[in-house]
Amino acid sequence: MSGRAVFVHDAAMEEYGFGGEHPFNPMRLRMTIELCESLGLLKESQFVAPEPATDEDLRTVHYSSYVRRVRMAGRGEGDLEDLARYGLGTQDNPIFPDIHRACAHVVGGTFRAARLVMNGEVEHAMCISGGLHHAMRASASGFCIYNDAGVAIARLKEEHPGIKVAYVDTDVHHGDGVQWMFYDDPEVLTVSMHESGRYLFPGTGGIKEDGQREGHGYSVNLPLEPFTQDDSFIESFEAVVPEVLRAFGPDLILSQNGCDAHALDPLAHLSATMRIYEHVPRRVHELAHEICGGRWVATGGGGYDIWRVVPRAWTALWAALSHQEMPDEMPEDWLSKWGEESPVKLPPFTRDDADDYPPIKRAAEIEERNRRMVEDLLTKVLPLIR
Amino acid sequence: MLLVRDWMAREVVTVETGTTVAEALALCRKHGIRHLPVLEGGRLIGVISDRDLRSATPALGDPSRAEALERIRVGDEMTRDVATARPEDPVEDVAAAMYEGNIGCLPVVDGDGLVGIVTSSNLMRALAQLVGVHEPGSRLEVALPDRPGSLAEIAGIMRDAGVNVVSVLVTLGPDGAGQRIAVLRLATINPVRIVKDLGEAGYPVLWPPEMHPGEGGA
Repeated sequence: MSGRAVFVHDAAMEEYGFGGEHPFNPMRLRMTIELCESLGLLKESQFVAPEPATDEDLRTVHYSSYVRRVRMAGRGEGDLEDLARYGLGTQDNPIFPDIHRACAHVVGGTFRAARLVMNGEVEHAMCISGGLHHAMRASASGFCIYNDAGVAIARLKEEHPGIKVAYVDTDVHHGDGVQWMFYDDPEVLTVSMHESGRYLFPGTGGIKEDGQREGHGYSVNLPLEPFTQDDSFIESFEAVVPEVLRAFGPDLILSQNGCDAHALDPLAHLSATMRIYEHVPRRVHELAHEICGGRWVATGGGGYDIWRVVPRAWTALWAALSHQEMPDEMPEDWLSKWGEESPVKLPPFTRDDADDYPPIKRAAEIEERNRRMVEDLLTKVLPLIR
Repeated sequence: MLLVRDWMAREVVTVETGTTVAEALALCRKHGIRHLPVLEGGRLIGVISDRDLRSATPALGDPSRAEALERIRVGDEMTRDVATARPEDPVEDVAAAMYEGNIGCLPVVDGDGLVGIVTSSNLMRALAQLVGVHEPGSRLEVALPDRPGSLAEIAGIMRDAGVNVVSVLVTLGPDGAGQRIAVLRLATINPVRIVKDLGEAGYPVLWPPEMHPGEGGA
């Protein structure tokens, strides 16, 4: 496994954030990049700076009326009640100056990454600003204004008629926005692995959401029990993802690598550790080489323990994507710089110690329920994929 | 919004007393339904279910089955004295009537005319809409004392946090008197502050439970 990997990023993409106490904090991007650099995993020559997405790009999946309102909101114009109907200016999605441009730049990043890979200019590409999977056609949702993966997939389909794209989302929240955008499209397989929507936002993502019309069977959901730990997460992933990807036979895999399934994440209730953030990218990487000539694009996503989880998880992602080994120890310079700002003690190692995350009391019951869900899913959905 | 007329099926497949069991069973299969209102002169006089139809006829494989299917008429096997609903009835009353009477459907009658049918699956759909499952949100179960003003206080916490409430249901707690449980669906991906504020104000969030690494609880 070799070939060129690129890190699609521009400092302007760090403008996409909501400020103050809001959990979506773009500082996590800076911390990740500096960690990669400090570990010697990322060089200047590996960066690619993207252009913002054009309105024409955005309109492949978003309504013009919505794009117009995001633009207005970013200029401080528009009626607040009207904007709120589009999910803008809510507690989750506050309006900030130039919100349109900042998010269009993120979309441009994921699109650029996807294009570079699809055109064969690079083997793998990563855009950690991307992964805004909740954005809907006509509204902002769950910290997401525009849907970067949606736009990238829709555009690739225009540029390469007939291609098949597999979208693999391991964020702790259901990848609802992307799923609904391609719900009746048999050329786009969406696979989302997440905490069950029983308590968690957005509440969707049950196994019965399996696509409609020609797309029936091409939406795959693995809703995991709250407090699922590494072993059961990995077992569920292995039981489903390789098989559905092989059955589908995509031309490109786009992965959304939200890292909020970690036990330390404040917004959700899964109990995973760094182990899954090494396992998932490594396996997606292998599957891309096995199935689609290595064509793999990775984005970020959710991740709200920006101190202890996100930089390590996305460094592991970059290491997998760029065919490098992640060192075991966190670098001193990084720890001393960010340690000063962090309200919590930063972990000294890039990997978690299993002893810090012992099995919870209900682990056996949780594993059993996940196993039954997986069996049910494989029986009902796998036969539909061609 | 939560009246029978908002949730009933308006296109009703009906039979007459003279319809054969074979015809009635074929209608059930074709439309994927289990209950058929029986009309006579346009007036509702009974209901027949697929279960009634099956128990009235010899089992599959029995040589006398084919003859029985053609011979037995719906009028011989239907339930008379049918419980009905009116379009203006609240869905909760209909749910209680169906649950208490152990029945799977109620024909909806306006004056003398049959205008619809409400089945348990219509009510399930109403319940799903009631709790807001079709809108993105987070779900919380909150304990609150059974006294005036407690709901207003938790609503005030949502207001102060600037978060819209998609739906709210309040029910008696498992311990009966004194405590109620509010089931809230909030239009946010981030209920962290609300959970904290509710707890501090004396309204503990029961589900999802809080858990910290290494605690081994839950």
